[in-house]
Amino acid sequence: MRRLLPLLLVQALARHPALAQPEPVKFGHIDSQLLTAAPFVADSAAEAVVLCDYGTASIPNGGEVRFDRITRIKILKKSGLDWGNFEALLRHDQPGHAERLTNVQGFTYNLVNGKVEQMPLQATTGVLLKKSELYSLQRFALPHVRVGSVVEFRYTLYSNYLSNFRGWDFQRSIPVRWSEYRAAFPHQFNYKILLQTKQALAVDEHAGAEALVSTHRWAMRDVPPLRAEPFMTTTADYVDKVFFELASYGGTDVARSWEKIDEFLLHDWELGQQLDHFNFLKDDLARLPPPTPDNTLQRLAAVRALVVQAVKCTGEFSMRTSTPLRKIYQQTHQGNTAEVNFLLVAALRGAGFAANPVLLSTRAHGRVRATMPELGQFNYVAAHVPLPDGQALVLDATDPLLPYDMLPERCLNQQGRVIGGSAAASRWVELKPRHRRTHLQQVQLRLAPDGALSGQVHEEFGGYAGAQQRASLQAAGDKKFAADVAKFLPGWTVTGFALTNRDSVHMPLALDYAVAQFAPASAPVGTIYLSPLQYFGPERNPFRAETRQFPVDFGYVREETIVVNLTLPAGYALAETPKSKALDLPDNGGRFVCSTTATGAAVQLTSRLLLRKPIYSAAEYATLRELYRQLLEKQAERLVVKKLG
Amino acid sequence: MKAFISLLAALPLTSFLLHPAAPAPKYAVADIPAALREGAHAVLRADDEVITVKSAGRLVHTVHRVVTVLDAAGDDQGRQMVSYDALRTLSYLRGAVYDADGRLLHQLRPAEIHDQGMGDAGGSFMTDVRVRYADLRQPQTPYTVEFEYEIVSDNTLFYPDWQPQEVEGGAVQSATLRVLTPAALPLRYQERQLPAGSKVVHTSTSGQETYLWQLANLPAVEEEEDAPPLSYTTPAVVLAPGTFEVQGHKGSAATWQGLGQWSYALNAGRDQLPPATVAKVQALVKDAPDARTKAQRIYEMLQGSTRYISVQLGLGGWQTFPASSVATNGYGDCKALSNYTTALLAAAGVPAYVALVGAGADQPDLRADFPSSQFNHAIVCVPLAQAGRPDTLWLECTSQTEAFGYMGSFTGNRHALLVTPDGGKLVATPRYGAAENRLTRRVDLTLDATGGVTATARTLRTGQEQDGYAQLMHQMGPVEQKKYVTDRLKLPTFTLTKFNLAAAPAKAAPGIVETLGLSLPGFAAPSGKRVFINPNLLSRLPALPAQVGERHTPVWLTDACLHADTVRLHLPAGFRPETLPAPVQLSTPYGVYSSQYQNLPDGSVQYIRRLELKRGQLPASAYSGYIDFRRKISAADKVQVVLLKTES
Repeated sequence: MRRLLPLLLVQALARHPALAQPEPVKFGHIDSQLLTAAPFVADSAAEAVVLCDYGTASIPNGGEVRFDRITRIKILKKSGLDWGNFEALLRHDQPGHAERLTNVQGFTYNLVNGKVEQMPLQATTGVLLKKSELYSLQRFALPHVRVGSVVEFRYTLYSNYLSNFRGWDFQRSIPVRWSEYRAAFPHQFNYKILLQTKQALAVDEHAGAEALVSTHRWAMRDVPPLRAEPFMTTTADYVDKVFFELASYGGTDVARSWEKIDEFLLHDWELGQQLDHFNFLKDDLARLPPPTPDNTLQRLAAVRALVVQAVKCTGEFSMRTSTPLRKIYQQTHQGNTAEVNFLLVAALRGAGFAANPVLLSTRAHGRVRATMPELGQFNYVAAHVPLPDGQALVLDATDPLLPYDMLPERCLNQQGRVIGGSAAASRWVELKPRHRRTHLQQVQLRLAPDGALSGQVHEEFGGYAGAQQRASLQAAGDKKFAADVAKFLPGWTVTGFALTNRDSVHMPLALDYAVAQFAPASAPVGTIYLSPLQYFGPERNPFRAETRQFPVDFGYVREETIVVNLTLPAGYALAETPKSKALDLPDNGGRFVCSTTATGAAVQLTSRLLLRKPIYSAAEYATLRELYRQLLEKQAERLVVKKLG
Repeated sequence: MKAFISLLAALPLTSFLLHPAAPAPKYAVADIPAALREGAHAVLRADDEVITVKSAGRLVHTVHRVVTVLDAAGDDQGRQMVSYDALRTLSYLRGAVYDADGRLLHQLRPAEIHDQGMGDAGGSFMTDVRVRYADLRQPQTPYTVEFEYEIVSDNTLFYPDWQPQEVEGGAVQSATLRVLTPAALPLRYQERQLPAGSKVVHTSTSGQETYLWQLANLPAVEEEEDAPPLSYTTPAVVLAPGTFEVQGHKGSAATWQGLGQWSYALNAGRDQLPPATVAKVQALVKDAPDARTKAQRIYEMLQGSTRYISVQLGLGGWQTFPASSVATNGYGDCKALSNYTTALLAAAGVPAYVALVGAGADQPDLRADFPSSQFNHAIVCVPLAQAGRPDTLWLECTSQTEAFGYMGSFTGNRHALLVTPDGGKLVATPRYGAAENRLTRRVDLTLDATGGVTATARTLRTGQEQDGYAQLMHQMGPVEQKKYVTDRLKLPTFTLTKFNLAAAPAKAAPGIVETLGLSLPGFAAPSGKRVFINPNLLSRLPALPAQVGERHTPVWLTDACLHADTVRLHLPAGFRPETLPAPVQLSTPYGVYSSQYQNLPDGSVQYIRRLELKRGQLPASAYSGYIDFRRKISAADKVQVVLLKTES
């Protein structure tokens, strides 16, 4: 029966309309029109254009996925010459698993004296590079690639990673004229099809649902290039693509429900066993204060501190441990993110908390879809602890510079999956930041009659701002850090730098320093103009692009406050007190307030910005940008200080 | 079994019963002299390096390094990375980590050493360079790491350099370099920045020469602004071979002539072009009036028909692919494209040479007084003459867009080694000074009564001033260009209404014209009766951070340039300037600056700014003057024009 299957498949394939369509590109044959400039007048912004990207995937013999690709690209600018290189990534990260590349061919087409010149890829130019134990790269360079060339290549890749049937990105960083993918699934492989698209599919055909092989065909026409924007998670969250997930194999459900994944994790990883083997922690845990009704949080903080002090995180993101937790704790004192946080879960359990691992995906790794039970969506593990009041905390021990209850910024990605002691106990949790990003500047300034300014600055970086500043401080050392702070105040002399709460990470990091600014070259006569808030506020609008395609994803609430107490020289007063200003974003999204009060020689200026939403939609971008514009305008407003009498 | 493990785990870690042979503590932090901890993030406790020259073609380099990491800023020193390739084998890499008291915490195991191919890194299409690295960083500082490794090198063109103090914030307690070489292969070395009294100890015994250098108790160093790189300020011994042999290719590095001779011989005979290519070249230059025109046509052909792909495998790091392979594939690395270009020029009857150079905008010039392989790039030199005077032409062959004959900040202002049939000749590449490196800008600012501003700016950049913009123009699409410029304009909120980059007509140095249209809503909002506006919208030069403590290193000002700005400020009806800022004129050894304002008859205000920065290497004492110069420029650049609403 097994031997018969391939033949049956071939016959089945031929009958299915989705695959019976002619190929969208004829490899090795080109229309000479494509070698002229005429068809590309509308592509002046592009360095190259994908004319056709065509892939097919099938499982011809039941044991391997066969993936074929033909790509044809027009080179439009010298900066696009590198599109004449291509590479294939070959994974070998699991025992018994391998991928291999065959049937590599390529051509470069040039128009030489009105004639099409076709140059073949030299097979010997392909270089295989073993990058690491996990994967290799095979790279190729096509010959005689110039502006105006059309390059094309094809290859076949065999892979026995069956659970990971290759998906397809329709979108690239350059425009794509036509992108098509065809997949044939033998009936015993039941794949779930998942689409992430912003624009309509040009082709969406399916056939053979009840047959030996089901066939599928998707295509997109004229796909615009995808570009990253500031304050976003990753472009992978927005690329137009189709991808798959193996739902069942030969009638057996292959663990593609969340409950199945939970069970898989609990058993196959033997995670449960390690997490409950916390005897090696017993002595250290015994030194913690015994639990009382009101010291739960202190005890949580103490358990986390125990792990943080014992183990350094290498920075490698992982969901697996390769070294036993005991060894990490007692010998290497080093671990990847999973090892550190599994140790945290074990220590929390050892201290009597009902802690569990929570799977999540870092911001750079992309958004998690609850509708898609797929382990590959995650790349990170933290610890989840229920609290007596019915609330819960997500803890992380990879960064000693964070307060115990602060999730690293990279983890602020909507939701995670708690893996409970039993599959039934597993569930989704919101990864809501418990901290804001706050920056407070309190400035005492004294104005001299010649226009010189001097005073004292007190800054506090709270929440995520504190975490960022502590990281800079740690990397730079005190002296360089102070110099970097001074760089934000060009034209000022900064002295007497002092830091408070450096190691009290649950408190805002506080900086105190003296500032002084020389009198202007031409001494003012009678009237002095100055914009005190502008010295300490932002120099530029953080939203420089006029338009926005994707949401602005800060991850947390932001708050920026500047208070300047200005003392005028004796015999001087404000000519006029500037008007107060308050601006609100729609939907209670944020607020900017700026005010000036004057009592004799004492002038107080206050600027406060609150952005209440961690995420703003692209539609809200214009109002966000305008809010900042008005903030900068208001902070730049001049005070007119006049000599009395 | 299970119970047994629990029992072991419950025992105290330091139990003598379990470790009867616990090693004696070493490298305790307490043994570091206080002076070495001052300003240090890490202290090199010991660096013992031995270089054994086995033969002209082989040397063995063993390293034993012990570093105490004092705080997290020194954590990078807790890792060790060793690179190797087809010609250099890593025999072993070992490591251990100790706590503050010098007790062994953990011994590195082979499974904890990572191995990675660097083949696709750093713009390279493929190289055979790989790295092994180990990470022994600890959660608590201070801690001490110890690494040992040995490299067997069959690439004796390069002898390892010795510079123990290679990072900022690193102090050195003890370091030694021992070189053993057969008397027949005498060592060439140069001592740099060695402390007074440090002298080489040279001994000879039965045909074996031994050299020994020692350094001790060097306090931590700090990198300063506008300073030479650390490699120019901390103690070093640089080594080079006399005679050497790589893959059977023998040579001498004792002179530039000899080094060039080796390179010439290694690449000899690789300049044969297919007859079709020769014919093409001859047809191309048939009617060209002179050698320069021939070279220009050939350069244009090269740029239009080849591209740069870097493949460095084994000896291929030094030996070029044959010219015929470039003709076949239409691509090559710097050596292959330079070799191909000299072959094309030869076919046209224009003699030219490949030249080796240490390229990079931040790369200081090579050490002319110490012949050795200090190169990372190849270019082409065409010795031409005009009216009896040399008018040498230089060609960058890896760029499809570089201007004909232009080197820029990548390969200009330095020495290169010509590879000729008679051997190497050290020559200077073109210098680019204030005459070439110019920025000329004309801005029209139009203010409306509500404080909105629109601006148009035309900027001509030439010479090194245009290097970055040339890349921007050629390497990025219009959308990325606009984003790049938008991200760098230091303006509060604005919209780019117009943007264009275009090549300026060819002159002595290449130029690029940038045209900007800007809209700045509320940029100069009225405060009562007055409007404040800084006409220097685009050319403000920031001040330098104030010097904290004493300046230790010399001042290196690497680029010379001349900037000239003219701004017209057009006022709305009902406004007049209240006062115009006073002119500023600064003349210093670092440069010259002037700014002036003028009321024009049509009611507009004209602002003219001129800034010339000079190239120079000045003593540390000159830094305070330089800071002052930059502070005064910054203050003048920020001055506001005050406009008054007239009563009407």
